[in-house]
Amino acid sequence: MILWVKRGAAVWSGIFLVALLYSHTEIAIIGGILNLAWVVDEKLRPTLSKFIRPSILMINTVLSAYGVLKGAPSILAVLIAGTSLLSWNAGLFLRRWRDAPLTVQYRYLKHLGVILAVGLGTGLCALTLQGHFSLRFFWAFLLMFIVGFLWLRIISKASRKESAR
Amino acid sequence: MTGAWFLVSSLGLVLLLTGLLLKNATLLAMALPYFVFSLLPFWRSLPKTQWKVHRSIEPDHIWGDQSCHMTVSLTNNGEALAEVTLTDMLPDGIQVEGLPTYHGNFEAGKVHVVRYDIRGVRGKYEFPGVEIIINDLLEMNRQEEFLPSPGTFFVLPAIEKIDKIKISPRRTRVYTGMIRSRESGTGVEFFGTRAYVPGDPLRHLNWKAGARWDLLITNLFEQERVADVGIILDARSVVEIRANGESLFEHSVRAATALAEYFLGEGNRVGLLIYGRFVEWTFPGYGKQQRAKILAALSKSELGDHPVFKEFRNLPIRVFPPQSQIVLVSPLLPQDLYPLRYLRAVGYRVLIISPDPIAFEKRFSPQDEYTALAEQIARVERNATLSKLRRARVNVVEWDVALPLWISIRQSLVERRR
Repeated sequence: MILWVKRGAAVWSGIFLVALLYSHTEIAIIGGILNLAWVVDEKLRPTLSKFIRPSILMINTVLSAYGVLKGAPSILAVLIAGTSLLSWNAGLFLRRWRDAPLTVQYRYLKHLGVILAVGLGTGLCALTLQGHFSLRFFWAFLLMFIVGFLWLRIISKASRKESAR
Repeated sequence: MTGAWFLVSSLGLVLLLTGLLLKNATLLAMALPYFVFSLLPFWRSLPKTQWKVHRSIEPDHIWGDQSCHMTVSLTNNGEALAEVTLTDMLPDGIQVEGLPTYHGNFEAGKVHVVRYDIRGVRGKYEFPGVEIIINDLLEMNRQEEFLPSPGTFFVLPAIEKIDKIKISPRRTRVYTGMIRSRESGTGVEFFGTRAYVPGDPLRHLNWKAGARWDLLITNLFEQERVADVGIILDARSVVEIRANGESLFEHSVRAATALAEYFLGEGNRVGLLIYGRFVEWTFPGYGKQQRAKILAALSKSELGDHPVFKEFRNLPIRVFPPQSQIVLVSPLLPQDLYPLRYLRAVGYRVLIISPDPIAFEKRFSPQDEYTALAEQIARVERNATLSKLRRARVNVVEWDVALPLWISIRQSLVERRR
């Protein structure tokens, strides 16, 4: 399951990157190809895939920052960050624990999902507040409410755990 | 913190600094997912652990090519852990069948058992403990622990059976054994005759001698007792030959093991001196305990190149009881002649089991005229040394290590007597 999550995230990050750098065809093609390599990196030699995984995360970050500086849509940059982090972290998990039981896989996806939701949500909230991302009041309120709720939940859970010790 | 955490944090920091530098708010917004990721270890710190580890090695010593069963059980007395990798730290040179690791989650109060088989070449192996790596599922946080759970395991040298070695030290001990003591008493070997005295058993009367001397003559028998046997294992690096992964020293250890086993089995008091690295002395003793001590010492024995022990001149002969039997296991060097003759001269009976270094090396050398010539020269020198030793009444068994030891002993000691 996690393998397909990782592959899906890599494909989406490739699509977002190509869309972000649409006006810079060569860079978009290179970025797309690299993201396609990321889709099947577990089939490569372990030494190579160990090198590829962080490299593509860095390249994606640099290219999306470049796209943002060149005036590309900022929402795509945040989405690239989210999907790249998802694909990269799922790759790390698969490298460590390929045949993890289903319960562990669900727990992992839950943890990762919460963190990404908080990260992406915060990023999108920031963009909304800056006016880069126009939403109607209801959707903007809902987004901020959900993100705020998740933040509170995470912090309260952490503090409860700490006080229990 | 892990490498993954550093990567995400650095990317977030770079985006933040670039955004601040270029006054670009979108870059700051982009940095947020990375920062949320890197905050994870602070939100979800790893739980405190409390472990109990138990190791069992069954048996704790094995012979030669046997295998031994290792069980490491680990109890989690702390909180539940999402991902744990535990690895039993292995000493160098050990061969493992099975996995000495466990990777998975670890519930609170649960016990996980790691089972595997181990093999090894002769030696002493010490297991230091278990290494535990605890990860959170996103690999942002990691904790490494080492739990000491020492265990020692011996691979003893393989034991070879020896038929019979006839030794006759000048002094024996008081207990009944298998070695002729040169004193009359109860025994089976004829020793002499003397005039009958009341109390002598009538079945020992020598009627033929009595008829000739017109006296009552009784037969005397030689007492058979146990003796002190000191085994010296030559562990000097100068006599070692290694070829094709085989070591001549290993054959010497094998011979010393067989000899210790044989002499202890005959009821003798046996001591062991390993001469090379330093003087490793196993005090003489009898029985199974002494056998275990000697085997443990032999399993640990290693070659040494200490300059003091380069020659047999510094052999601490006073550790051996006077006039006892000394058995030296050594490939021998020409310069060893004098100290060995000295041993014989001061009253020790000396038997040398000498693994043949020339035959050993020849097996791994190219079969050409140069090798043949070199062998001839080396053989002349060795034969000269051995014949000088034999002339000094030192028993020498020249052992081609390709053959079983008992064959060489039989050929050298039994057939030579005939």
